[in-house]
Amino acid sequence: AATAPGKKITARLKRTLPVRGPQAPTLSELMRWYCLNTNTHGCRRIVVSRGRLRRLLWILLTLSAVGLILWQCAELLMNYYSASVSVTVQFQKLPFPAVTICNINPYKYSAMKEYLSELDKETKKALETFYGFSEGKSKVRRSVDEWNSTGSDFFQQIPLLKVEDFSRIATDLRSGQKRKIEGSVFHKDSSIVNSGDSNDIIGFQLCDANNSSECALYTFSSGVNAIQEWYKLHYMNIMAQIPLETKEKLSYSADDLLLTCFFDGLSCDKRHFTRFHHPLHGNCYTFNSGENGTILSTSTGGSEYGLQVVLYIDEADYNPFLVTSTGAKIIVHDQNEYPFIEDIGTEIETAAATSIGMHFTRSRKLSKPYSDCTETGADIPVENLYNKSYSLQICLHSCFQKAMVDSCGCAQYAQPLPVGAEYCNYKKNPNWMYCYYRLHEKFVKEQLGCQQICKDACSFKEWALTTSIAQWPSTVSEDWMLRVLSWDKGQKLNKKLNKTDLANLMVFYKDLNERFISENPANTLVILLSNFGGQLGLWMSCSVVCVIEIVEVFFIDSLSIVMRRQWQKAKKWWNDRKRARPGKPPQAGDVERQGHDNPVCIDEDLPTFNTALRLPLPQDSPLPRTPPPNYSTLRLETAFTEQLPDTLELGRH
Amino acid sequence: MNLKKYLVRALHRLQKGPGYTYKELLVWYCDNTNTHGPKRIIKEGPKKKLIWFFLTLLFASLVFWQWGILINTYLSYNVTSSLSIGFKTMKFPAVTVCNANPFKYSEVKHLLKELDRLIEAALERILQPTPGNVSENVSPPLDLQLWNQIPLVLIDEHNKDNPVILDIFETNQTAGNETTANNETAGDDQNSVSNENPMQNETTAGNQTTAPPAPTNTTTEEKKYKLAVKLCSHQGSNNCTYRNFTSAAQAVTEWYILQSTSILSKVPLHERIRMGYQAEDMILACLYGAEPCNYKNFTQIYHPDHGNCYIFNWGMDEEALNSSNPGAEFGLKLILDISQQDYIPYLSSAAGARLMLHQQKSFPFLKDQGIYAMAGTETSIGVLVDELERMGYPYSDCTMNGSDVPVKNLYSQYNTSYSIQACLRSCFQNHMVEICGCGHYMFPLPEGVNYCNNEENPGWAYCYSSLRSSIKQRQICIDSCKETCNDTQYKMTISMADWPSEASEDWIFHILSYERDMSTNVTLDRNGIIKLNIYFQEYNYRTISESAATTIVWLLSSLGGQFGFWMGGSVLCLIEFGEIIIDSLWITIINVISWCKGLKQKRARARYPDAPPTVSELVEAHTNLGFQHEAVGALPRDEALPPEPGTPPPNYDSLRVQPLDVLSPDSDKE
Repeated sequence: AATAPGKKITARLKRTLPVRGPQAPTLSELMRWYCLNTNTHGCRRIVVSRGRLRRLLWILLTLSAVGLILWQCAELLMNYYSASVSVTVQFQKLPFPAVTICNINPYKYSAMKEYLSELDKETKKALETFYGFSEGKSKVRRSVDEWNSTGSDFFQQIPLLKVEDFSRIATDLRSGQKRKIEGSVFHKDSSIVNSGDSNDIIGFQLCDANNSSECALYTFSSGVNAIQEWYKLHYMNIMAQIPLETKEKLSYSADDLLLTCFFDGLSCDKRHFTRFHHPLHGNCYTFNSGENGTILSTSTGGSEYGLQVVLYIDEADYNPFLVTSTGAKIIVHDQNEYPFIEDIGTEIETAAATSIGMHFTRSRKLSKPYSDCTETGADIPVENLYNKSYSLQICLHSCFQKAMVDSCGCAQYAQPLPVGAEYCNYKKNPNWMYCYYRLHEKFVKEQLGCQQICKDACSFKEWALTTSIAQWPSTVSEDWMLRVLSWDKGQKLNKKLNKTDLANLMVFYKDLNERFISENPANTLVILLSNFGGQLGLWMSCSVVCVIEIVEVFFIDSLSIVMRRQWQKAKKWWNDRKRARPGKPPQAGDVERQGHDNPVCIDEDLPTFNTALRLPLPQDSPLPRTPPPNYSTLRLETAFTEQLPDTLELGRH
Repeated sequence: MNLKKYLVRALHRLQKGPGYTYKELLVWYCDNTNTHGPKRIIKEGPKKKLIWFFLTLLFASLVFWQWGILINTYLSYNVTSSLSIGFKTMKFPAVTVCNANPFKYSEVKHLLKELDRLIEAALERILQPTPGNVSENVSPPLDLQLWNQIPLVLIDEHNKDNPVILDIFETNQTAGNETTANNETAGDDQNSVSNENPMQNETTAGNQTTAPPAPTNTTTEEKKYKLAVKLCSHQGSNNCTYRNFTSAAQAVTEWYILQSTSILSKVPLHERIRMGYQAEDMILACLYGAEPCNYKNFTQIYHPDHGNCYIFNWGMDEEALNSSNPGAEFGLKLILDISQQDYIPYLSSAAGARLMLHQQKSFPFLKDQGIYAMAGTETSIGVLVDELERMGYPYSDCTMNGSDVPVKNLYSQYNTSYSIQACLRSCFQNHMVEICGCGHYMFPLPEGVNYCNNEENPGWAYCYSSLRSSIKQRQICIDSCKETCNDTQYKMTISMADWPSEASEDWIFHILSYERDMSTNVTLDRNGIIKLNIYFQEYNYRTISESAATTIVWLLSSLGGQFGFWMGGSVLCLIEFGEIIIDSLWITIINVISWCKGLKQKRARARYPDAPPTVSELVEAHTNLGFQHEAVGALPRDEALPPEPGTPPPNYDSLRVQPLDVLSPDSDKE
């Protein structure tokens, strides 16, 4: 009690110091203390068990439990970004999709005559020369006769050639000259099956205008494809030079195309249709395009309540070389989507009633990190040339168009124009066709990188179509039907209709069930954590508290013990050196004792019962101490320590 | 006295918690609980104590937060879907085949004769440019009674602001002065022009020629004439609606359907069945897998739209057939004759067979889900069964068998199962009966109600028309009907080819004609004959089935996981906590009692001159006394406490001390 004031001061000092040492003086003591006191199961068994075998067993069990926990938790983490699919079916009033209808033939042939007469003449001439075919009609005959007198641009630009395959000698259609083919030969549509008969091979040669030695010959196994492809090239060339307003006039008007219209049991007319000019299909008409802000919806399924239209397909006015089939093309799409009618349109037969039952499905994918899709397309480095919401197809087309403008200097006719570019034509870009074919080939072989850049959209709407056809009009109703329809039409046009000029189309919802397929995250953070908790608890009854304990004991405390050891060694070494020199002999064990005493009872502000009981006191304490206190007394004290601050001294008397 | 002793003893036993003050109790709890955090609080020094206190608090609040999320997730009743695709032996779908035309024209001609003559004459008038050409005097006079019930009118729109309504058979025209404003909206969705102008006005303005003039040839101008159907709530009434059409063809068809419906609704059912196509006439050949079948394997059903329909494999009387092989060879092959020559010309303009695949014991709604098969072709239909199995309430809002839908299912008279289409149609028919007083011909009748016809219900067409276009009525039906939980759809891949081929045409027609009526004459032609192949695809089912994403087991394990993860706790820890709360309640009770006692004593003590010890001191002393029995060698400090001389021991405490002395051995165990 005599030295009490000094010790008291140090004790108070240590109490207020921010950092105190660990509970045990040595590492093994610390481990023992940890194992006895930790909340984790297993560790305590290691210390408590008697016998080497049993202890080893417990060590093994504990370690394997730790291993299991790590493994399972790793699995949980790896499966964290998985998605589960849910399908919901909702019966409700459904928005009617936009229905875009086009005539297969883009422009009225009669109106196009002034632009195409040159080209047609040459096509006919080519047919006659190669196949000995000539139309028996007088109007054609006349134009053929004139052919020799008129100079033809087209054959000079891109001549049609008949190729003798093995000799690589081609006969020019116009001059009849034979010439040697240089450069590579591309078989446009039969790269796999090469027709053996060399006489049948027909094609055209595309040359780089700047470098005439660089040529590519495109051959076709069938003359039908060759002529059509060749015609299309020239046709696009001509069309590219015609301004849009003129083209719209050349194509079909809404009154031309639509004879009757009926939607949801009510009559509708051309005001419900929006014109949309498609470069390859001319004027198309979109029903329910949502342009005036309202989107029609259906509240009853079935063919009566959908869209019913009778289309007038003027077969006589078809372009004979451009399109070879008759009918209309329709596509069902969302109001925000661009109708890629040339890619995914459904063809409608004439003289038949086509009934199209729809089934609506909406899908939604999770974007990053679950899957690689894009919500709005804003993160795709390709500019959207279409004025519609993003889709994979829009991206691919835009990407190709951009590459076309970059490498050929002009834009392809079938796709919208980028800012500042114009469509390719011979006059300005004599080279474009060669360039286009090269580029297109690269695109198909995925060398342009478009397929890598473009991602699919995360949400999309889909209308599954069931198409069936019936004969229309039936033989008995044909008579009055045609008469009445002619009367409808006849208010403008004085002729009787033919049933092959008509197509009846019904588009309706089969049922009003909307199927919504969506991906949901299979795991949330809450579930992940509870799974972690389950694993930790199952194998070792561990929790975050245990983790903090482990960090505390194994990192902070162990480290500080090691540091203290080193510090004491260094101090000892320093003292030894000092002692080697003359100095007063230090009190042996003074330092040592301090280390021991520090955690247990003296320097720690308050000894808890457990620490007092379990940690062995240093046996060789030089100072005589009070015998370990009785259980209950101490316990009582701990409960009242703060009320009675002097108990400590009281006990030490 | 004995009883009191016993009670006191019991009370003490109950009360005997781990401590006599809140603090003691808390310390004891922290030390002994299985929850991980609290133990640390009392085991560490004051700094760490504080840290651990806050950590424990933080973890506890985290646990509660996450529990909230988990319980919310559970209550949202999510489902997970599993998809399976493959081939298995499945029930072959029921196949309904109908003719697009409901009745043989030769059979119904006597009923529709008047109507046909009317429409022909009307068309003549409309289409002929000059009125003089109409040769009315040759034919017998037209029954204008029929016409006047629902007349077709022409609307002359030469003058946009003042459309003139021309009646086709009457030589008058109405200057629709008051319809002007309404006609502006014509062509919108609501195409009906409500005419306030009464009929009697017709005669006043009749100064022009009757029939419409020749159509003008100008292509740029707007259409000048429109056909409209005039619907009045009852004959001669002012309450009329003009349903106008952009196309005359559409108007004629609609008008004809309204009129023929009225006529046919008067014909009894067995007569209508007789007028329709008979199975032996329609189904010429049938082959299911390798087994032959014939028209007797088909169940006849009368369908209002399509007359007699025949259902294969409906499963009503016999077991449904199974198909265990994919491919056309093992499916159903049918040859049908639709005899197009016998079509009713104005009723259906499309020719073909109407067919539908549906589930056994369900009613075929051909208008919704049916497909056409074209005459003169072979139509192959590959089938994929797309099933959706959903869980009912509370996971999704669907109905298992329709018993919980508030609409009376009128299709139950066919012994068919509930479907959403049946519900919607029943709902419409119920409304129709309620509002118009008669049932529509296209739907089944509720008991005690007749079908609408012009004689008995003159205004039915007006009523029906307004009901049909009413958005409100549809919404009511949509809201009250529920979809079924098990939804089966047949996805069809349809392909067509010309049939019979030109080379085989002759013998096929010959044989089929011979088989049908034992005659050597060919009675069939390309316009009537249809071949159908219906078979399972290589993958014949796609099943999406739902299961609950969150079950009670999931909830419990997740709750346990969370509690375990943050605090290493379990249900036992919760019980421990509850125990502590009970104990603290006891302590409160004891404190209150002792406080009361103390108050009483204080009053008593006031008589004594000495300064009395405070109540808390007394309580403290006595409560500490309670501990003494545990610590056998009691504390010197406690022993040192001098007994209060002269103070009578408080009632309660004295009670307590007594039993403790008596019961010391057993209390030790506790």
